[in-house]
Amino acid sequence: MLFKDQLDFVTQHIKKNKLRVFMTILAATMGCAFLIVLASIGFGLQESLRNEILSNETVTKIQVYGDKQFTDDQVQEIKKIEHVETVLETISVNASAHSFIDDRDTTSTIVLTDMTDFEQVNGKLSEGTYPSKPNEIVVGYHFAQTLLNEADRNAIAEKSKKAEAEGTYYDGSEEGYKESLVGQTINLSLVPNTSTNEETEKMSYTIVGVMEKPSYDWMVDNTIHMDTAQKPALVENLSTLGEATGEELFYSEFNIFADTMENVKPILEKLKDGGYSVYSVTEQLDQMNVFFLVLKIGLIFVGTIAVLIASIGIFNTMTMAVTERTREIGVLKAIGASPKLIQRLFLMESTFIGFFGTLIAVIISYAISFAANAALPLILKAATGEEAFATNDITFSLIPWQLVVIAAAISVGVAMISGYRPARKATKIDVIQALRQEL
Amino acid sequence: MIQVENLQHTFLIGKRGKEKQVPVLKGVNFKVNKGEIVAIVGKSGSGKSTLLQVLAGFMKAEQGSIKVNGKETAQLNEAESAAFRLRQFGFIFQNFQLMPGLTAFENIELPLKLQGLRKAMRKEKVKKLMDKVGLTEVADHYPNELSGGQQQRVSIARALITNPPILLADEPTGSLDSETEQDILMLIQSLNRELGLTFVIITHDEEVATIAHRRFRMYDGELVKEEA
Repeated sequence: MLFKDQLDFVTQHIKKNKLRVFMTILAATMGCAFLIVLASIGFGLQESLRNEILSNETVTKIQVYGDKQFTDDQVQEIKKIEHVETVLETISVNASAHSFIDDRDTTSTIVLTDMTDFEQVNGKLSEGTYPSKPNEIVVGYHFAQTLLNEADRNAIAEKSKKAEAEGTYYDGSEEGYKESLVGQTINLSLVPNTSTNEETEKMSYTIVGVMEKPSYDWMVDNTIHMDTAQKPALVENLSTLGEATGEELFYSEFNIFADTMENVKPILEKLKDGGYSVYSVTEQLDQMNVFFLVLKIGLIFVGTIAVLIASIGIFNTMTMAVTERTREIGVLKAIGASPKLIQRLFLMESTFIGFFGTLIAVIISYAISFAANAALPLILKAATGEEAFATNDITFSLIPWQLVVIAAAISVGVAMISGYRPARKATKIDVIQALRQEL
Repeated sequence: MIQVENLQHTFLIGKRGKEKQVPVLKGVNFKVNKGEIVAIVGKSGSGKSTLLQVLAGFMKAEQGSIKVNGKETAQLNEAESAAFRLRQFGFIFQNFQLMPGLTAFENIELPLKLQGLRKAMRKEKVKKLMDKVGLTEVADHYPNELSGGQQQRVSIARALITNPPILLADEPTGSLDSETEQDILMLIQSLNRELGLTFVIITHDEEVATIAHRRFRMYDGELVKEEA
């Protein structure tokens, strides 16, 4: 029998029992949708936590513990490890930078890195380029916003007061320097964090680039990044204050960067074997993934019970279908239909129920997932009064394609299994008995 | 064409553990030649229906051999037997056994579907045959919209559509009135004459047996040849 004719045969019978088949599909849909939505909570929570971790840290970064400084030889040795992109030395200065432009000024932290390495690790800027000459710097995304004059400070104080009275908070985003900073020259003096508020003499720097916006909305980045070659100049500038020798205010931190996230693990293992105390956020992710894997398996298991309950309906429907059609099956067998064909026709019918149940379930699940993600933050906000729930992108429910595949395999599989016994029964029908049935 | 030798079968009747053995076929032998109409006459319970079922491959006999066109069929498995039926036999049943959800046309088309023929080819074949047996006007009618005679014509057309060399008929006129019975018997005779088809007719009706070239009488599990 041609496949098309087999399909015709099956759909003809389904049409004859529309209501019964529809109810069975409905049960299959509910079971499958329950499975998908339940498991999607596991996927959603994992995604939320993963994003939380990843937005905070660079995934390819391997941090080095302790204040032990790397020697140049060690840096070279680490760089030789396969898939290590770079070893980035970040020098922090235990002093704030006080920057001036026209009548505006701001205080920020200052870090020194090798600009070629930094560019490789940091990637795109929101504006401008990385420094190529001495006295060129890159500033954080909010640097312009924090450059304030008297008028701005007063305005912020006023708006903050007003916001406080309303129970909210004003972040000062409307004030600050409004022009592009690229190409601007700033005067910069250093204020050691160690003691008095003494400032060093001003040095002149040109801003050539502005960093990308930080991943968190609440983060304010007005850091000044300059090349490590500037260190002697800063040391000299600080020495004029006399109080502490400039060198003591600088400390280095080494971070190793892998080329891709997948390669972090082998590098980490090699470094640990080499006696380095290292850490990567991927280790945290690994532990989290194991936890969520167990959770998701648990949720899918519970969801599968719903599918199994639905399968009882399919079993019943198919058994009824076979019983009702005993005489027809008898005739088919008598005129030469093979037992295999008869089994296939009934299996196709139960598969059809499973398939359509799954298809509708997937559509419904995506709708529920979308609605839940849209509505739950608002409900939580109303219940707790916490603004954070409404603004943060928390994923409560996520349906990746893998979940759809797993749920479809379980649903269709269970439908086929529950149709198997009735289908076998159909092949076992005795032709003579069937033909003797009353019309 | 068909050669049956020493066919034996016993039924077990009664409660489990206390079954009684009832022999239904006690070494049946007979032969059907190509182009013949053979009637097997007998009362109910004589074993004639069992003989037809064994012949058609619906059930296996305990002993004996059946050769159809030289092929031994007595011990074929279910799938082989189904495939063999589809090629070699056409069936005419007492209750017509049409599919209630299919039209006359679709009922006749069914064996061609089982053979895996394409739609266009099926359509052509069914149309031709419907013309021949006088069913063109009722092609789109469902079985419950047809008279008994028309239903049996549809049933005969369904049996003929695959061009089987042998037709097995089980009480082909059992559900018909005497006038329609004559029509159907004439149709069988003309098919036999014109197409050279071989018929094996199982019946309890002596009248039906009159159209047979040769006649056997089944009596208590044994088959005896009678003069036609």
